[in-house]
Order: sequence, then structure tokens, then C-alpha cells
Amino acid sequence: MTAAAEPVVCFKRFSYRYPNTDFYALKDINLTLPKGSFIGFTGPTGAGKTTLIKSINGIIPHVEGGACSGQVLLKGCPTGNLSTAEIGRLVGTVLDDPEAQIICLDVEQELVFGLENYGVPPDEMEQRITTALSSVGISHLRHRSTRSLSGGQKQRLAIAAALALLPEVLVLDEPTSELDPLGTEEVFTVLKQLNVKHGITVLVAEQKTELLARHCDQLVILSQGEVALAGTPREVFKHKSIYHLGVALPQVTELALRLNGGRCHLPITLEEGIEFCRALVPGGGGKLCNRSLT
Amino acid sequence: MQPLIDIKGLSYSYEQGQPALQDINLTIYPGELVALVGQNGAGKTTLVKHCIGLLRPQTGRVTVCGQDAAKTRISHLARQVGFVFQNPDHQIFHDTVQKEVAFGLQNLGLPRDEIEKRVAAALRDVGLQHLAQVYPHRLSRGQRQRVALASVLAMQTRIIILDEPTTGQDSLERLQIMELVRDLNREGHTILFITHDMTLVARYARRVIVLCQGRVIADGSTRDVLSQTQLLAQTLLEPPQITLLANRLNGLLTPGSEVILTVDEMVEHLHKVNGGSIDGPCD
Amino acid sequence: MARVIEYVYRESVVHSLNPLSKLAWALGVMFLALAFNNVYYLLTLLSTVVAVALLGKVLKDLATVFKGLTVFAGILVLLQVIFFQGEEVLFYLLPGHILPVTGEALYMGLAMAVRMMAVVLSFIIFLATTQYKDIILVLTEKLKLPYDYVFMFMTALRFVPTFMAEAVQVRYAQQVRGCPVDSGNPLQKIKAYATVALPLVLISLKKAERLAIAMETRGYGSGIRTYYKEPAITKLDMMVILSTLIFIVLALFLRMQGYGVVQL
Repeated sequence: MTAAAEPVVCFKRFSYRYPNTDFYALKDINLTLPKGSFIGFTGPTGAGKTTLIKSINGIIPHVEGGACSGQVLLKGCPTGNLSTAEIGRLVGTVLDDPEAQIICLDVEQELVFGLENYGVPPDEMEQRITTALSSVGISHLRHRSTRSLSGGQKQRLAIAAALALLPEVLVLDEPTSELDPLGTEEVFTVLKQLNVKHGITVLVAEQKTELLARHCDQLVILSQGEVALAGTPREVFKHKSIYHLGVALPQVTELALRLNGGRCHLPITLEEGIEFCRALVPGGGGKLCNRSLT
Repeated sequence: MQPLIDIKGLSYSYEQGQPALQDINLTIYPGELVALVGQNGAGKTTLVKHCIGLLRPQTGRVTVCGQDAAKTRISHLARQVGFVFQNPDHQIFHDTVQKEVAFGLQNLGLPRDEIEKRVAAALRDVGLQHLAQVYPHRLSRGQRQRVALASVLAMQTRIIILDEPTTGQDSLERLQIMELVRDLNREGHTILFITHDMTLVARYARRVIVLCQGRVIADGSTRDVLSQTQLLAQTLLEPPQITLLANRLNGLLTPGSEVILTVDEMVEHLHKVNGGSIDGPCD
Repeated sequence: MARVIEYVYRESVVHSLNPLSKLAWALGVMFLALAFNNVYYLLTLLSTVVAVALLGKVLKDLATVFKGLTVFAGILVLLQVIFFQGEEVLFYLLPGHILPVTGEALYMGLAMAVRMMAVVLSFIIFLATTQYKDIILVLTEKLKLPYDYVFMFMTALRFVPTFMAEAVQVRYAQQVRGCPVDSGNPLQKIKAYATVALPLVLISLKKAERLAIAMETRGYGSGIRTYYKEPAITKLDMMVILSTLIFIVLALFLRMQGYGVVQL
């Protein structure tokens, strides 16, 4: 992966086995995740996405138990040497179930919960709450009961609650799996903004590859606990073995691969797909392939 | 033909005011494969719950297989309508997959050998026969979903309703479930499924019903409904990417062409337009 | 049921009071209710409790609670009537001189019902006008109860509605498989409830695990806590606490003089 930015999360020969199991959920993972990147993790069920996320936010090894070897480094420091609370200052976590991860009854209190736990001075809290709520676009919901929120709003609240602790990294475990298309769009729009505007590193496990293709700089495909492919979405989608990994490609990408085996600049988003097709059809006015023939 | 599900003037609102369903009129005939789509809160689940008597209409009438759903016991309707819930964990409580699937059949009071036969067949259908003796909570979410599906299949109902059967599953599992649904439909089951995944709708459903704020705003063949881009935009549902692509290229493709639903169709179409020399410009 | 114990957001004097003084008030009501058994005294107490609800603008929100309590009160009266043997027979519940209703029993029953209503309502008003976080704060900081326990208790309350919603879903899921949850046969019913209880426990465990992760990753138990807004103790609070104390002392005095107690 890109070597320019300093790594914020680094897996070094990391393997992990859950308690009472005899197989490795993660096997010899080596990954360097640069600061400020937007990285998607995908792969079939059981590939190790959730385990990977838990290894970054310290739930593994601190809460889950089990056996691990190798290291996960957060800004150079092994997670094993940090407490979950210390990790929590650096890494914010959002889970898939919008219901179970909301702890408090009203929106403001949900944000206050973390701030109080970390002993943030009360006069500093106000500023942090306002900023966190506005950066996910739910300032108007500040005094609402958490139960009255929609799924998308709940997930954005979970993101805000993490943001109030000023993390450098956000990890999200399939944050849109329980949401409708509207909620899904809300969440990803917010993530993109946080990444671009505030330089927050976003690490998200997600099944919806069309979304990942649109938003990620890097894509990691896991398979049976191992990193099967890693690179930019275009590089990954172009790879021959992608078909055996149980990952659905964006339809425009699939179309292009079916038509010419990915020999030209592979489209991964709708806009690119349009350009791609224009170039194919006589009189379409496309000039894409002439420009980027491989 | 006699409709299997007949809904007339159905309205329903929950305690807290806001109507969840308003004046719904729908008829579903034997052999149909229908997708029910809409945002969360549009009333999809509320609607299907009326089809098996879990909710009673406040106004209007729901007839299922000729019986008034409001006046028939749920356990009786369960012989006609199979219902697979969104979250399989809401039903699973036995210590083996086999017992879990057999539970509904025991409730029907079937003889033992019949139960065994049906359980084995249902597990084979969903591809879990090798896991019959496993503790269900050791399985993946996708597998548990298939256990739930098997337990409904085994009841051999004429109608099968699935509430978001592919939520929380990977792409392969989604396809497996939907292939199975299509097979069931071919064998004669009438199927109604709720989903957010328009790609699956385009690929598998033959009829689509769109709900928006408790009203049916579109009902027709999949191709017809998915061609109404404006209407779908109003509900903020997005057609599959390939359909959007085809729509955006509209002037470019042959005029008056049909709506594209799948990648296969698009490939075929481009071949037609290009006279078969599709990879020309790139080489 | 689930919405009974929920905080109701309003702007009112009662809401703005310190949780401590509201708690003192509720405890005071309980003391007074237990001190007397004279229906008129108890009715006066109950009407002051209702007046506080009115002042707190939550009376309407408590309508369902009120209904439930009335039914419960009715049962209390009935039980007294059936089991308490008095002398002055007013009338018979059933024709043929069966189940006599005596004046004493009726009086006792009414007193118990009113007492119960006053006590329960005062605590519900406390919960409806005080935010959870403030309750937690007061219990831990002022009354020095351990934070972990208080937090766990309050979070358990927070999850009651979620739990109820899940229970409905599970019941539905079993019903559509022909499980006779709606059967009249009590034996079948008990069996059917087991089919609801088991998945519910498993689901709750899963939810609890998620919740634990959510709390853990947001620094729960990481060290010295701060509090966002500590509710201040105002002059009004002092007055409420002081007058509660005065009433308690007064009640003790009256009680010892033999007022407000009816010997049956």
C-alpha cells in the first residue's frame, strides 16, 4: 500500500484464535494502514472481517480472550500493551446493530457518556458535543430520545459518540447491514466527509462493494482469515482470483470484465461505467480507452 | 383465478398515532413471485403481518386462501402461509438444527416418520443436511437464516413470505437463498419477499410492489416498475446500478429499448448495438 | 407498560428540582402513607401527589399508569372485602348471603388502595421528571452508591422497552410456526412460553455482548470520571427538603397523639 503517509495501524504477522476453537480466525495478517486513508474490508461471512475490526479496537485480545501471535500496532505501540480505554481514545468503534450499541436514552447523553468516562473537563464537553453532532449532521436531534431515531440516524449518532472522543481512527463493522438504502447513503456520506475534511482514518468492514468502490482508497479482501487481495479497488477488482472469493463486484465492473476481460481502464463507479460504454458504442464520443489503454 | 391473498381497503395505525398503512388494495395470485420494497417505516412488515393474522386490520379485510385472516387462528393460517422472519434468532431455540426444523411440524401434529421425512427434505433443499445435528447458534448468520427457512419449508405451505431474507449475508449466501426461493416458486409456491436489495429484485422478482409511507405507490411487473425512475427516486430507492447505467446511456442505445435489469441483459444489448464487435475500441 | 417509567421531557418547576429533593419528597410521601390508615388523611396525601404531577405537567402522560393502578387498587379492595371479617355488613356480593361486604373491610381496602396509589405515583413522578443521568449522578455522587451497580441498574431499565419489543417478535416467530401461544389450555400455554423465553435469553446475551463492546470502546471504567452538568441545589430544593422533614416530624407527632389512625 501507499508508503507516503505514516502508518496508523499496522498488523505484523498477526494470528488469532477464539477461545474454545481449534482454527485460526485470522492467519498471519500483515497490513499497513496509512493515516488519513479510507479502507474497506470485505469478503464472505467467516472471512475474519469482524475479528480484524476487533483486533484494531482492542476487544481482541483484551475482552475476548483466546490466543494470538504477532502484533497489532497502533501508532507504533502494540495493542497488547495498551488498555482498552487507552485504545478507545485513538480508535472509535461503530458496530452493525444500531439498537444494541446505543447506551443512553437521549442523544446528548449518548455523547456525554464517553466524555465523562474519560474525565473530560465539563467546560470542554460543550464544544466537543456541538462539533461531533454537527459533523454527522444531527445537531437538530440533540435533545431527542434515542429511541425515536431512524436506523440511519442511530448509526450517525454512534459515529458522533465516537467522534466526541477525538479519535484518529474510526473502525466500523458492517455499519449499514441493518439499514435501508437511505440510511446506508447517510452513513457513507458522513464517513467520506470525516475522512476528507477532518483527515480521520476510516476502516470499514462492508458487504456493499458498490459503496466501497465509490469511497475507498484501498480495499482489502479477506478470505478464510487471510488477506487474499489488497490494493486500490480497481486493482483488486481486476484481479483474476476475485471471482473465487465470494465478493460481488459493482455491476459496471462486472459488465466491463464480461465485455473485454478488463483489458482497458476498468470502470468501478456509475460515472466511469457511462464513460466506458460511450467508448464502446459507435458514435458514443468516448475517448477513455484511447487515453488509458493498458 | 382465485386469488391466494386478497387485501381490500386495509388501513392500520400503531398506538402512537401515525398511520402505518393506508387503504391498501392488493391481490396475489397462485404462482406469483412478488417483491415488496420501500424504505424502513414504509409499512412493509406491517403489511405482511396482516397476511398471517399477527396483526388484525383496523379497517378493511384480508383474505388468505379464502379465509378471513382476522377471524382465523394463527396456528391454522400457519398451514397455508409460511413466514420467515428477518432475524432467525427470534425463532431458534432448539439444541440441534434438526429439532429446530421439526418444531413447526410437531405443532401441526404430524406423525413421526412424516416429520423425519420432511425435515430431511427441507434441510437438503437449503443445503444444510450435513449440519442436522449441530447446535444452531454455532452456525453463521447466513446458515441460521437457512435453518429458519428450512423450518418454514418443511411445513409445505402454499404461500411463503420472507421478511428481508438476505440481510446480513454475503453475496454468495444472498444468491443461494434467492436461487432457492426461485426454485420453490417454480415448484408451485407463491412467494412474497421483502427486500432493500434492488439488484436481487431485478434479478428474481416477477412483480414488484412499492410501498411509501403506508401506501402502495407502484405495483406491476418488475420491468415496468423499475422503469419508473422518477417514482423510485421519490421513495429514494435506487434501481440496480446496471439499470441506472442503461438509463443514463439512453440516447446512445437503440431508441425505445426496454429497461435493462441485469448485467446479462446489458451484455447482450451492447453486443446487439455494436454488431458483435464489442471489444473493438479497446484493442 | 414499557413507557410507564420513562422520562417525560417538559419545562416545569418539578423537572428543574434537584433529583435529591424529589427523591426526599417521594420518600416523605412513603413515610406519611405508612404512618396513617385514615382514608381522609391518605386521600389528602394522594391529592397532593396528583397536584405535584400537575405542577410537573406530566399528569396526562401518567394516564395509562393511573388506569393500571386503579385496576390494581380495585383488586386490593376486593381482596380485603373477601378476606377481612368485619361486623357491620353492608351488602352481599352474591345473592343468598354469600360473601358479605362489611364496612370495616371496605374501609381497610380503600385505605390500602389509596396508600398504594400515593406511594407508587410519587416514585413514578420522580422517574418521569428526572433524567436517568441525573438519577445516576445523585445516587453515585451524593449518596455514594457504587457507580457500576447504579449504572447497571439504570441500563437494565433502559433496555426494558427493547427487551419487550424483542419478546413480541419472538412470540410472533413462534406463533407463525403453529406454536399455540394463543391457546386457552394453561399447560400448553406454559410450554409455549418456554419457546418464547429461550430465544429471548439468547438474543439478550448477544445484545449484552454488543453493549459491552460499545461501553468498553468508549472508555467505560477508565479512571476518574467527570460530570457534564451537575444539577445544582437551589433554595427551592432546600425548601422542599426542609418541608418534607417538617411534615415527617409533624406526622410522627400526630401519630403518637393518635390522630389519623382508625382502630378496626
